[in-house]
Amino acid sequence: MENQFDVKQEGTILTIVLGEELATANAPALMDELNKYRDKGVEKVVFDATKLNYIASSGIRTIIFAKQKLGSNPAIEFVNCAKSIYEVFEMTGIQDYITFVNK
Amino acid sequence: MKLLHFQPIAGKALDILDAILHTPEVASCKKEFGALRLVCEELVVNVVDYAYPKNAEGYMDIEIEREDDLIVIRFKDGGTPFNPLKREMPDITLPLEERRIGGLGIFLTVKKMDEVSYDYVNNENVLTIKKKISNEE
Repeated sequence: MENQFDVKQEGTILTIVLGEELATANAPALMDELNKYRDKGVEKVVFDATKLNYIASSGIRTIIFAKQKLGSNPAIEFVNCAKSIYEVFEMTGIQDYITFVNK
Repeated sequence: MKLLHFQPIAGKALDILDAILHTPEVASCKKEFGALRLVCEELVVNVVDYAYPKNAEGYMDIEIEREDDLIVIRFKDGGTPFNPLKREMPDITLPLEERRIGGLGIFLTVKKMDEVSYDYVNNENVLTIKKKISNEE
């Protein structure tokens, strides 16, 4: 499905490949999925946002959750973040705590 | 003016959102559609999830007024009186690891709209948003 996500851990890196949206329809499911990786030694969380074009506050909460609950203060990385998504991060002041990578 | 009425609303946030976004009044806002979608989602979810006590059959009325260069949307519910604009806004200067997760939706609403106001009239919460429309693609 277009709006789903795929979560995979390799070593200490947890990669989340996002669909087109991260909002009310799927953010709670992602939160549940991430909850399974609480004590798995995650040091870096990579969100692949190549397809992402819409995020709501419920989506931002999953990023905050990843930062606060997975491992001990993991680094957060966003791959191929669209401008419209970056603007929402900027609005909420979280862009300084995310590393943005284009691939 | 377009009037939309929903009852019951429990578990229906996405259906309500869909109905709002498909009205010609909202769908015709091209450049601002993304902002309106975000804000409508935040406000509808807030009402559906929190306005009424659990198991209560709540309702939600939505009024949409579209002028050439302005859209006004009113969200009305008969739930517990609550002014979301009075709740403490999230501290966006805190680092991510110290952030609290509440209040982001109403914060984004205020940021994205030109005007947001709250009133309690006839036993209803009335949240009104206004957004200037540029008519650009």
